[in-house]
Amino acid sequence: MHNNPLTRPTWIAGAMVVLALFLLPAAVPRFYVYMAALILITGLLATSLNMVLGFGGMYQFHHAVFYGIGAYGFALIATKTSLPSWVGYLVAPVVAALLSLIMGLITVRLSKLYFGMMQISLGSLVWALVFRWYSFTGGDDGIHGVCPPEAVSSTTGSYYFTLSVTLVCLWLMYRIVHSPFGRTFQGIRDNPERTSAVGVDVRRHQLAGLVIAGAFAGVAGSLFVTVEGCAFPELLFWTLSLEILVMCLLGGWFIFLGPMFGAAVMMTLRTFVGIYTEYWTMIMGVVLMLIILFLPEGVLGLFKRKTTGDKPAEEEA
Amino acid sequence: MEFAANITAAALFQQILVGLSRTTILFIVSSGLSLVLGVLRIPNIAHGSLYMIGAFMTWSIATVVGGSPAAFWLALAFAPLAVALVSFVVERGIFCRLYDREHLMLLLFTFSLTLVFNDLVKLIWGSDYRSLNAPDFLQGSFSIFGLPFPRYNLFLLLTGPLVALGLWLLTNRTKIGKIARAAAVDREMVSAVGINVSWVFAWVFVIGCYLAGLGGALVAPTQNITQGMDHAIIIEAFLIVIIGGLGNIWGALLGALIFGLTDAIGILVWPQFAIVFPYTAVVIVLVFRPKGLLKSVW
Amino acid sequence: MKKRALWTIVGLVSLGLVLAGGSAVSAKTIKVGIVDCYSGPPSTYTNDVRDAFQLAVDQFNAQGGVLGNTIEFVTRDSKFKVDIGLSAAKELLLRENVDILMGTINSSLALAISDLSLKEKVPFIATFSKSAKITGAKGNRYVFSMTENTALAGKAAAHGLAKRPYTTYWIAGDDYEYGHAIADGVWENLKQLKPDVKLLGESWWKVGEPDFTPYITSILAAKPDAVIVATGGRDCVPFLKAAKATGFNDKVPFYMHTATELSTLKPLGLDAPEGVIGTSNYFFYYPQTPANEAFVKEFEAAYNRKPAVGALYGFMTAHFIKQAYEKAGSTDTEKFIDALEGMVIDTPVGKVEMRAYDHQAMLPMYMGVTKKMPGYDFLVATDIVTISGAEAMPSVESIRKARGE
Repeated sequence: MHNNPLTRPTWIAGAMVVLALFLLPAAVPRFYVYMAALILITGLLATSLNMVLGFGGMYQFHHAVFYGIGAYGFALIATKTSLPSWVGYLVAPVVAALLSLIMGLITVRLSKLYFGMMQISLGSLVWALVFRWYSFTGGDDGIHGVCPPEAVSSTTGSYYFTLSVTLVCLWLMYRIVHSPFGRTFQGIRDNPERTSAVGVDVRRHQLAGLVIAGAFAGVAGSLFVTVEGCAFPELLFWTLSLEILVMCLLGGWFIFLGPMFGAAVMMTLRTFVGIYTEYWTMIMGVVLMLIILFLPEGVLGLFKRKTTGDKPAEEEA
Repeated sequence: MEFAANITAAALFQQILVGLSRTTILFIVSSGLSLVLGVLRIPNIAHGSLYMIGAFMTWSIATVVGGSPAAFWLALAFAPLAVALVSFVVERGIFCRLYDREHLMLLLFTFSLTLVFNDLVKLIWGSDYRSLNAPDFLQGSFSIFGLPFPRYNLFLLLTGPLVALGLWLLTNRTKIGKIARAAAVDREMVSAVGINVSWVFAWVFVIGCYLAGLGGALVAPTQNITQGMDHAIIIEAFLIVIIGGLGNIWGALLGALIFGLTDAIGILVWPQFAIVFPYTAVVIVLVFRPKGLLKSVW
Repeated sequence: MKKRALWTIVGLVSLGLVLAGGSAVSAKTIKVGIVDCYSGPPSTYTNDVRDAFQLAVDQFNAQGGVLGNTIEFVTRDSKFKVDIGLSAAKELLLRENVDILMGTINSSLALAISDLSLKEKVPFIATFSKSAKITGAKGNRYVFSMTENTALAGKAAAHGLAKRPYTTYWIAGDDYEYGHAIADGVWENLKQLKPDVKLLGESWWKVGEPDFTPYITSILAAKPDAVIVATGGRDCVPFLKAAKATGFNDKVPFYMHTATELSTLKPLGLDAPEGVIGTSNYFFYYPQTPANEAFVKEFEAAYNRKPAVGALYGFMTAHFIKQAYEKAGSTDTEKFIDALEGMVIDTPVGKVEMRAYDHQAMLPMYMGVTKKMPGYDFLVATDIVTISGAEAMPSVESIRKARGE
């Protein structure tokens, strides 16, 4: 059902959303523009994770590493070299993809949970290096005062830049998911033995998927630095990886825009519940429990089932 | 000046002993994690929170009982039981409805438990640092080759094998242990012969969490009991279980040894990057034995 | 099918538009936004900052406020995460329209908010982060620090240690920014004050180190006259425990910056090691001045506990804010900053000046030795030597140099 052609009403609704997003800075105060940029970035990160998680069925438990490396890649280019900071936007996805390739070469032959745990242990190794390597990464303080290119440094500028880049990335990812490669990738998720039997190199496809997802996470990392002006080791800590996993779950990981929706809900909750209570992680935990118990396909998954009478996602998986 | 220049045989020996007493804690915590993972297939991230709750409970019980020497032993006996009780409620209340879900769902569910538990700890115990004392005869140090070695570490060294023995007896000599092992391999078959698998799972889960609580109780006198003590242990415990072989308790012992000793030796030879040593050991093990050192249950 | 999802997003965006409408600020309030970590180990320090700030603000408002305005403050929990803290700071700034930002024990977050404050031209008052970069290399017009930092503590400790008869030292500490900065601060200054000191060796452990025994034994083997232990926060308690268990404190004297602080000594009760040298900005039992006694009494009455060092920072911050506005005679930010520069106020630890050049509060530092005292069920600092703010502060020249001016 992912390869359904886009229908006309979908196009119209999509165009309206995009239009609304482009008009946003004119309509709302600056804080909401900033929030929207953060949501787009986190959503892009979660969507890139979902490419391997939801569409590839791979337990990528430590996706944040590529986000963090992308952020550091950009921040280092912008602060430690005389290169124009635009170069950072090219470097970020490249270093993230390279790291993903290296980690993937080691982990891709492992199955399910082993794969996930190996990703965590390799990722923690990368985190430890970033955390410790003072002269290069600034250690636990991180890198501060990163100046993005002049054109995108204001709140509105960085928002438009983030929005444009995110839309392009989403479009690219959508195309990849619906390409022959993407279909093979989902075939591997649903039935690796059969896919392998028809002559597909399962490992190579999975590796390619990991590298692509890593690159997009790297892009998200460079956008984060653009908006926030700093990079720090927590961006590649394992708890962030779990948080974006939760976003995928929340939105529904069998739907392309599910993670983006999950990111929006999580970020909004975090900001506005945090105003009223110090105990918002507990509230988040309870919400998450309820979703797991009653809405395993995520919020958008429920909508989808209710509106189209589709079968529950489990049967699809 | 290089730290490595100071390595003497005595320092090395002492460092290994320290590494081994650390191994005890790691083994106790990760064997519980491994048990739950092997039999119930739950990657329980909340295991670290239970460890932390165990430490806080130990502090509370010891404080309530008062300054008598028996306070610590009472706390050591009852705090893990209290943790087991919490886990029993969670298992019967929620977990038992989720066993047919994917690993990923279970993992995320335990993550949500972590979020709730951590805020509960903050709500109940507040933010002050807590400290607990071992009984008098376990305070102070022995001298080993002229270097001090804390008595409490020796106590930990003796506790480790006892717990290992207990676990062996439990899994090999009791009915529930045998059923649990069988259920880990093939749960359909076990339920086909008329055993209520659900209750077996409940017991295994409770025992696993008891071990987390016991680890927390044992570590309490050596540490600052505070929020956040779950963070480091949980990732270490997972790595240990993975390198040992998922669900294999002896694998957890082996993994804990590797982790504890590489960490201790790392401190001695290259302190600046000691933090990297255990992770590197894990990567090396997994590159050569992707399924862990010992036979995984599944 | 996708339509529905997209409509949901349309709905969400419009919800955002509605939400954006709220939150108008009345003209008669001065609003302070505090971002700090109220979860996890650091909250043992940060709660005191907030509570003492609250205490002072309540007093001001009861007396008619500041320039006729009431002071209001809101807090946000950063969870010790830079991303959460930074977006909370922006929320306070852009949505709550706060006039002043303050807080954060997390140095990385403090540096991030410092960049933000410069960009948005809003004062940021750092209350507990110890990085010397905040008012040093990375200082700017909008950033103020109400707490000692690694440079200050290092220099103060060097002054105190130079008066003691030790010549051979060992340095050990937390292997992260704070640990190294403290150690470097002490050592660089000590070498200048007492050129014959000799460093026998160093050892560094990771934050959250589970067992300090191996480090302690290797240090003992080298037989230094004294040891500088550069560890902070939650690692102080287990280190003192290990020192006690191995008899480290009986064999060799050691200095540990925050060893004498209430947050460190109170949990250990009477089992803390004696004879440990520590430095702190504040004790509820020292200085024994009417101002401090009154403050302790008020704080205890309000919160039923003794104030720790964070309480001084919170209380002082509130008073600096009030008096700076009053001196400026208006609530204009730039005038407020001009007024705050060089301002001297009375605090529980005596007169404290806000140095005009780097915006660092010139706090005195008390060096004391842990000891059991009748009447207390925990150890207290004795033989207190006061190192004045002027002595402990890094020179303006050195700050100029660090900023590359």
